[in-house]
Amino acid sequence: MTRWYEDIEVDTPYPLGEHTFTAEEIIRFGQMYDPQYFHTDPEAAKQSHFGGLIASGWHTASIGHRKMVDALAAEAERLEGLGEKPGVAGPSPGINRMDFNSPVRPGDTVRYQHTVTQKRPSKSLPGWGVLHQRVEAFKTSDEPVYESEMVGFVKIRDFKPTLQIRLAMWLAQVPVLKKLIKR
Amino acid sequence: MTNPITKDRRHFEDLQVGEVIALGPQLVTKQMIIGFAKEFDPLPFHLEEEAAKQSLLGGLAASGWHTGALSLRMLVDNFLSKTAFAGGLNFKNLRWHRPLFVNDTLSGSVTITELRRLKTRPQWANVTQQFDMRNQKGETVMTMTLSNIVDVRDPSKPIKDEDESEAQTQSETSKTQAAK
Repeated sequence: MTRWYEDIEVDTPYPLGEHTFTAEEIIRFGQMYDPQYFHTDPEAAKQSHFGGLIASGWHTASIGHRKMVDALAAEAERLEGLGEKPGVAGPSPGINRMDFNSPVRPGDTVRYQHTVTQKRPSKSLPGWGVLHQRVEAFKTSDEPVYESEMVGFVKIRDFKPTLQIRLAMWLAQVPVLKKLIKR
Repeated sequence: MTNPITKDRRHFEDLQVGEVIALGPQLVTKQMIIGFAKEFDPLPFHLEEEAAKQSLLGGLAASGWHTGALSLRMLVDNFLSKTAFAGGLNFKNLRWHRPLFVNDTLSGSVTITELRRLKTRPQWANVTQQFDMRNQKGETVMTMTLSNIVDVRDPSKPIKDEDESEAQTQSETSKTQAAK
């Protein structure tokens, strides 16, 4: 999955692996980032409509992101092992939507999956491609946990910048101009 | 059926569209950035200064997921834990506008933009909140639209036209189906 823009397959689901959520980690994440009572207090959580402790949606999504990063690293290693240069992923500008469907309880195993739904060269970042990606999480029963659509950047291997772009990129390296451009 | 944990908190009836809740400030240290990144986003530009300088970010910066988590913590401390909220539904249009660098301070606000009772679950309402998170220079770091469910104090009250919505989002439907 650390593929160059050209090698990325659209509409091909890619499994990211599974994670089993323990009560301890649910509480730890909840205490730090989402201290609502149903994420931190198993006794109090029984009073909620969930009936017990559940993981923060942000926790299940953060684990999903970790899974994706691990998959990128594993693919990079695989390609290097074959003597190939792995692609480069860039920071993401954002997440278009994330829908939380069912809660994750202690002991639940969640399976994550990634699909590129669209790709095109970036207009704002020469040399980079824009990916539209779907990340989905499911329980072992295939019940959806969450579904999300996000945007990412990945480098184009055979990027041939026009003279105009080459000039702009060179100008952007000149120290005085570099300072001016930096917002 | 009253929830003893949340019965004395504000409910749907006590909230108003246009209400603004201040969030933060929170200083973001190198230790915090690396700690979160190691567990949830171990990309080089969130872990090492040199790698970060070479990247599109231009310097060691927090994972966007970390910025979101910090913002969520502020939301819980200042709003969610003081109100009879009952879980997250969805979020839309999360945008990471610029990096949150080492020793930046994150703060901002959340504005209630919509309050809508659920037709099929009269005891609940959808609260839509618009996040506006900034750094110490006032520059936008992250924006997002979040929807949570809040308890209605008096579910027997008929749903007024302005509270009602014909179209439920998919996550609302799934959530009401999953509810006990």
